[in-house]
Amino acid sequence: MMIDRRLIQEIDWILLGLILLQSLVGVVFIYSSSHVLPGAYHVRQLIWIGISLLVLILVLVIDYKFFVSLSVYFYGLMVVLLAATLGFARLVAGTKSWITLGLMQLQPSELAKIVMILIFARFFAEYKRPYLTTRVTLWALLVAGVPLLLIIAQPDLGTAMTFVAVIGGAFILAGLRRKAIVLFVLAALLVGVGGWTIALKDYQKKRVTTLINPAGDPRGSGYQVIQSKIAIGSGGFAGKGFLKGSQSQLRFLPARHTDFIFSVIGEETGFIGVFIVIVLYFALLARMFLSVNKARDRAGIYIIFTASLLIAFQFLVNILMIIGLFPVVGITLPFLSYGGSSLLASYVACGLVLNVKMRRFANV
Amino acid sequence: MPEDRIYEDLTIVRRRANVVFWILAALVFFALAFYWKIQILEHQKYAGMAEANRIRMRVLAAPRGLIRDRKGVILADNRASFKVSLIRENIKDQAASYAAITRLLGIDEPTLRSRIDLHKDLQLFEPIVIVDGLGPDDVAPIESRRLEFPELVVETEPQRYYPQGTLAAHVLGYLQEQTPEEIRARPERKIRVGEMVGKTGVERQYDDILRGEDGAVYEVVDSLGRVQGEKAHSNPIQGQDVLLTIDQRLQAEAEKALEGREGVIIALDAGTGGILALASSPTYDPNRFITRFTPDEWRLLMNDALSPLENRAIRGLYAPGSIFKLVMSLGGLGFGFVTPETSVYCSGSTEIYGAVRHCWFAPGHGSMDLANAIKNSCNIYFYTLGRRMGIEKIAEAASLLGLGKATGVDLIGEKEGLVPSEEWKMKTLKTPWYPGETISVAIGQGQLQVTPLQIAAMTALIARRGAPAHPHLLKDAVAPGPADPAAPQPFNKTTFEAIIAGMWKSVNDGGTGQGARVADFDVCGKTGSTQTMSRESAARLAQAGRETKTHSWFSGFAPRDGSRIVVTVLVEFGGGGGATAAPVAGRIFEMFRQELQEK
Repeated sequence: MMIDRRLIQEIDWILLGLILLQSLVGVVFIYSSSHVLPGAYHVRQLIWIGISLLVLILVLVIDYKFFVSLSVYFYGLMVVLLAATLGFARLVAGTKSWITLGLMQLQPSELAKIVMILIFARFFAEYKRPYLTTRVTLWALLVAGVPLLLIIAQPDLGTAMTFVAVIGGAFILAGLRRKAIVLFVLAALLVGVGGWTIALKDYQKKRVTTLINPAGDPRGSGYQVIQSKIAIGSGGFAGKGFLKGSQSQLRFLPARHTDFIFSVIGEETGFIGVFIVIVLYFALLARMFLSVNKARDRAGIYIIFTASLLIAFQFLVNILMIIGLFPVVGITLPFLSYGGSSLLASYVACGLVLNVKMRRFANV
Repeated sequence: MPEDRIYEDLTIVRRRANVVFWILAALVFFALAFYWKIQILEHQKYAGMAEANRIRMRVLAAPRGLIRDRKGVILADNRASFKVSLIRENIKDQAASYAAITRLLGIDEPTLRSRIDLHKDLQLFEPIVIVDGLGPDDVAPIESRRLEFPELVVETEPQRYYPQGTLAAHVLGYLQEQTPEEIRARPERKIRVGEMVGKTGVERQYDDILRGEDGAVYEVVDSLGRVQGEKAHSNPIQGQDVLLTIDQRLQAEAEKALEGREGVIIALDAGTGGILALASSPTYDPNRFITRFTPDEWRLLMNDALSPLENRAIRGLYAPGSIFKLVMSLGGLGFGFVTPETSVYCSGSTEIYGAVRHCWFAPGHGSMDLANAIKNSCNIYFYTLGRRMGIEKIAEAASLLGLGKATGVDLIGEKEGLVPSEEWKMKTLKTPWYPGETISVAIGQGQLQVTPLQIAAMTALIARRGAPAHPHLLKDAVAPGPADPAAPQPFNKTTFEAIIAGMWKSVNDGGTGQGARVADFDVCGKTGSTQTMSRESAARLAQAGRETKTHSWFSGFAPRDGSRIVVTVLVEFGGGGGATAAPVAGRIFEMFRQELQEK
C-alpha cells in the first residue's frame, strides 16, 4: 500500500515534533541520572527512539481501518501471550529478580494497551445509540476483563490501572447513564475493599498507606516519595543546574532514570524546567485529544480518544506520584522515562492518532 | 445538508471527548500549581532537607565469641584495632590524595585503587575500608592531620586475636573476608561486606555460634561528611564463646615435640573421645590473616610445598604400616583365624605366592605367638595371618574399626582414606586383585590409606575395649549414640585384652615401642614405619649414599586399665616408628601423667 503525497501533507508534523522533543529531553535527563552507572542508558534510549520512530512510520503507512478490522486476531493473540507470560513468570518468579521479571511482563502488557485501543474502536464503531445499554456494557466488560484480570494476576498494578483508565474512557465516550456511573463506583469500592483485604500484596498496601503518611516509613517505601519531593523542592525556581542535583547525583533517588526521571528534571532545572516540560507536554496532549474533531468516523474518534487518554493518564499519574499525590504504582512518564517497550507503545499510540488524523477525508 | 449523508453524526461523542480532555487539562493545571507550591513556596524547607538528607549507616561490628581450651584458657580473643576508610566524596584532588594515602599508610596505589574499585557501587559519601588491623601508632599521623584529609576516617573495630600465636592453629582455623558471590549465595547468614568469617577449623565449624549480631548507627551527615546527629542506634551483640576439649599445655607440648619436623600428634581423652591436643606441623600463625587484604606471606603459605595450612591430622593420607597389625590381630582373633596361642616361626624371611618376603629383623624372631608378634612387630607372623584371612576379611575388620570412613570429627574437610578390596580394585582400577597384594596390606602397605585421626580413634576403641570413641573438639558436645556403646561384632573384651597384652609388651617388655615407656603409667602401644617408596627405589638411593627414611608412627594409650589418654604420633620421614615416634609419644604421656598428679 503506497502512501499518497496528499497523505504526507496531512501528517501532523507539529505533534510529531512535540513527541520527538519530549523524547530528546528524556534522553538528556536519562544521561544526567544514569551517567555514573555502567550501561550507557542514554545511548540505548536513543536507539529505542530510532526503532520506535520506524515502527511509527510503519503504522502510518497502513490505513487504521485495516488495523481495526484485524483487532479481533490481535486480541486473541494478546490473551494467549498474557496467559503464557503469566505461566512463565510464575515459573521464574522464585529465581529471577523483579527487574528481569518486570521486563518479561512489560512486553506483552504494553502491547495489550494498543490492542485494547483497537478492539474498542472496533467494538463501538457501529454503536450509534447515545447511551450504553446493559447488554453492550456487559459485553464490553467481558472483552476488557479477560486481559485485565491476566495483568492483575501478574501482578502489575501500574499497567492494570492504565488499562482501567483506557476502558473507562471508552465507556464514557460510548455514554454512561447516571445509574451506571453509580453502579460502577459502588462496584469499584467493593472491589477496592475486597482487593485490599484479599488480593493486595503487603508491599502494595504499604504504598497506599505511604501516600497518606510518607514519613511513617522514611527508610522503606516512603523513602522514594520523600526523596523525590526533596529533590523537586530543593530544585527551587531555577534548579541546581544540569548534572548538579545532589539528590540525583548522590543516588538518593531511586529509579531515577525510569519512574522518577521527572524528579531529576525538577531538581536540576527547577520550576522553569518543570513548567516548560509540562506546558509542552500539555500542548502535545491537546494536539492529540483535539484531533477527535478531525476524525472522519466513530472508530477514528475512539482510537484518538483512548490513545490520547493512555498517554495523558500515565503522564498525570507519574507527575502526581513523584510529588506524593498518588501512590507509587510503577507508572513511567511516556517519552521521558527510560524503557524500550514503554517508549514503543507510546509511539505506536501516537502513530494511530496521526494515522486517523491524516486520513480524515473519506475519499482518500 | 449533503455532508450529513456522508458523515454520520458524531457530535455527542466528540463533545464527550472534549469534556474529558478539559478535565484532564484542569488536573494538569492542578499538578503545575502543586509543583509551584513545592518548588517556590516551600523551597527553603526542601533545600534544607536536601542538605541534611544524608543518612549514613555505620556498622558497629559485633566481636566474635571467644574460643577457650578445656580449662578456660583463651585461645582466640578479640582486640581493638583501627581501620582507615576513604570517603570519595570528600576528595579534593584525587592524585594528591592517593599519593598522600600511600605515603601515610604504606600501601601501594594499585592495591588502593583495586580496593576502591571493588566497592564502586557504594554511594560516594559512604566510607570504604582501605587499611585495617592498625595499631594506635599507625593511625597517629592521620589523626594529627585530620583537617588536611577530610576524606579519611579512622575508626576502631574488634579484631580477632590469637594470644597464643601458632598454638592450635589447625584446630582454630582462620578467618577470611567473604567474596561478594559467597555473601549473595547465603543471604540468610546476613554477612556484611568486609566481615571476617571462619574459613577453616573451629572458626568455620562453629561460625554461627561465634558470630555475633552487628549493631548499627544511622548518622545524619552534612555535605562535608560531618556527623550532625544520630537517627537510630542498635548495639552489637558479641557472639557466644566456644569451649574446646583442647588442653592448652598438652597442645603446646605436642607442638614443641614436632618443631622442625613434618607430622601430627593427636591426644584423645580416652573416656570421652574429646581431643586434648591436635598438632599438625608445619604450622602457621593465624594472626597474620586477620586482615581484609591478602599479604604476600599468605601467598607464600598457600604455595609452600610443605602445605603448612593443611591439617594433616584429618587431611593427611598415609599408609598405616605396622600400626595396621592391630587391625590384623583383631580380625584374626575375632573371625577365628588364630587364637592368642597360635604360633608362627619367623626365620627372617619366608616364601609366599612364589616371592620371598622379609621380616624387618633379618636374623628372625623365632617362634611368635600373637602378643609377641605385636610386641616385635613381626612381619612373617602377619604375612601368614594375611594369607589365611584374605583381603575381604581384612577389609571387613578395617571397616569395623573405622578405617576407610570419616571419624565425624567436628572439623571441616576430613578425608576418608582407603581400605582396598577386590570390589574396590575392580571398580576403580579395572583389574582383578592379586593375592600378593593381600600380603602387602597385611603389614599396612599397598593401597591402604588412613588419616592420623582415624588411627587415634581406632586406638581409643581398643583402649575402651571395643566401645567406639567419637573424636570431637566442642567440650559440651553431646556424644552421638549411646553413652557406653557395645563393641562391634565379632570382637569382644577378650579379643581386645589379647591385643592389649601385645601392645603392653611392645612398650614395657623390650618391644619396638619401648621409647614410649613412662614409669608408673603402663603405656600400651604399637609402632609403625611405612615405606614411602618401593623397596627397589630405596635400595637404589641407598647405593647412591642417600638416606631414605620411612614415615614414623606410634599409637597407644595409657594406663593399660582404666585408660585416660590416647596418643597418636606420625612423623613424616622420621625413620623407624620405635626410634622417632615412640619417644615423642612418651613425652606426651609423661606430660599428661604429671598433669594428672598435679590434680
